[in-house]
Amino acid sequence: MVAGQGRVGRWLDAAQLAVIVVVLVAPVAWMVLSAFKPRNEVAALPPRLIFAPTLENFVELFRRTDFLENTLNSLIVSGGSTLLGLVLAFPAAFAMSWHRMSWPATATLFARMAPGTLFLLPWLMMFTSVGLVGSHLALILTHAVITLPVAIWVLLPYFDGLPREVIESAEIDGCRQHQTLLRVALPMVAPGVVVAAILSFVFSWNYFLFALVLSGFSTKTAIVASFNFIGEGVTNWGALMAAATVIALPPLILTLIIQRRLVGGLAAGAVKG
Amino acid sequence: MSLALPAGPASRRRASASYRWMVAPALIFAAGMIVLPFLWAMWLSLHETMLGGEPRFAGLDNYRRLVADREFWNGFRLTMLLWLLSLALQLVAGTWLGLLLARLDAARGLIRTALISPFMLPPVVIGMMAIVILDPGLGVANWLLAQLGLGGLLFLADPETVILTVALIDTWQWTPFVALIVLGGYLSLPRDVFEAAEIDGAGSFQRLTRITLPLLAPTLVTAAVLRSVDLLRFFDVIYITTQGGPGNASTTLNILAYRRGFEFFEFGYAAALMVTLSAIVFGCVLAFSRLRRAVAW
Repeated sequence: MVAGQGRVGRWLDAAQLAVIVVVLVAPVAWMVLSAFKPRNEVAALPPRLIFAPTLENFVELFRRTDFLENTLNSLIVSGGSTLLGLVLAFPAAFAMSWHRMSWPATATLFARMAPGTLFLLPWLMMFTSVGLVGSHLALILTHAVITLPVAIWVLLPYFDGLPREVIESAEIDGCRQHQTLLRVALPMVAPGVVVAAILSFVFSWNYFLFALVLSGFSTKTAIVASFNFIGEGVTNWGALMAAATVIALPPLILTLIIQRRLVGGLAAGAVKG
Repeated sequence: MSLALPAGPASRRRASASYRWMVAPALIFAAGMIVLPFLWAMWLSLHETMLGGEPRFAGLDNYRRLVADREFWNGFRLTMLLWLLSLALQLVAGTWLGLLLARLDAARGLIRTALISPFMLPPVVIGMMAIVILDPGLGVANWLLAQLGLGGLLFLADPETVILTVALIDTWQWTPFVALIVLGGYLSLPRDVFEAAEIDGAGSFQRLTRITLPLLAPTLVTAAVLRSVDLLRFFDVIYITTQGGPGNASTTLNILAYRRGFEFFEFGYAAALMVTLSAIVFGCVLAFSRLRRAVAW
């Protein structure tokens, strides 16, 4: 610890932190401000920090493009893959924790390490041969490859913290296995399920590559649509920043809800790339 | 059998019931969506594929071609450059920020939100912000540089600066992540070591280099592994902002593999590139896990 001694050190520390926070927040603030700027002021330099905020960029975005439909597609894909990931991960994580099985968790880590492009090539061929390219189902299935490991890694410590006697006494009372899981274990690990659901949703919502290749015209996600706006050489930065603000909102809001529990889960199961 | 047993003491046996079957649905899904495609990609990499034609077995031809391909070595060089540059920046800045947060006990409330937001944002949003802010003519970044009396930069549009720019964007996004991991590691360290060092008269710089950093080494290796896996197969922000350009100046291995596979439909060759990249990532993770054992205490 270099600084940090006495009052001067503390002030120096606080000043450094203030600079870092400004650097981290400024680009995001710039994006949001630009989205609400009138068209002729978006690219004005020196930048105008005081202006009459307008919704015209958002109006143009939703009127002129299919961004509303794109956003709905994103909701369907993220919601569907979150649900599928949880349905698969919940019993799996319980069994892995109960029997101290470590190899499935390790195996999911290997899946996390391979580049997404590697899986995408066979997927494209698989989904082409059964006519699923461009369907919501194909996107939900591929995004579940992201959500499943996240959900398993987030849920495992919650199941590890579940007292074994609770499950054993449920068995003695004659509960069937799936009843034990749903009626006894589920309520006790509910906070973990919420964290797993939120992280899964955000990762799926943010994910770019799979939908870039596998989505069709009518199933295009908001992420891919925004990428296309860039490619079309959109000179209207206001609308571009409006789109960015819209797709940034769900991850930011959801992250706020669970930020306290977030970091451990991220270190274990973050998926990107 | 056990179902036929009457309730009572005998049913206690079911307390050792096996739940292993509950792993099956996830395993079946993983087999179909991960293992099978992985093997398929390996198989493809050993075949010559033509659009519309049957794949023809080609042995290691794709890998021979790859070793002789200048674009592959360009991609390899750029991947290594981006990886080492970003990793060094993020580990140094992340350690600094993590220890700063520990001293100030500041990772809470709005500051925590500011720290978490960058790496929870979609890569496409990062790319869009970069395009608008770093625009050579109209972007606010060059305006700020001009205010400081510095010349403008082309950032993503200049082959000389594009990798550095991507590395800095990634550092902006992921330094807080590294810092939060460092903070977590620091808070779990035994307090008495620091007190003992202080009583023995160790200066603050000595305490940092002789005690804090060595004790944090396993945490730093963990952070390095997590970042390396993402950095070695870096795709999204590059593809969103430059598509590998200008020219080939940001065509990292994953970008190259994507373009060969999904723009030129050379499935066999693209698969060979992807398998090679996977081997590089696995190799890196294995090397780090050795390193982690070496620095464990």
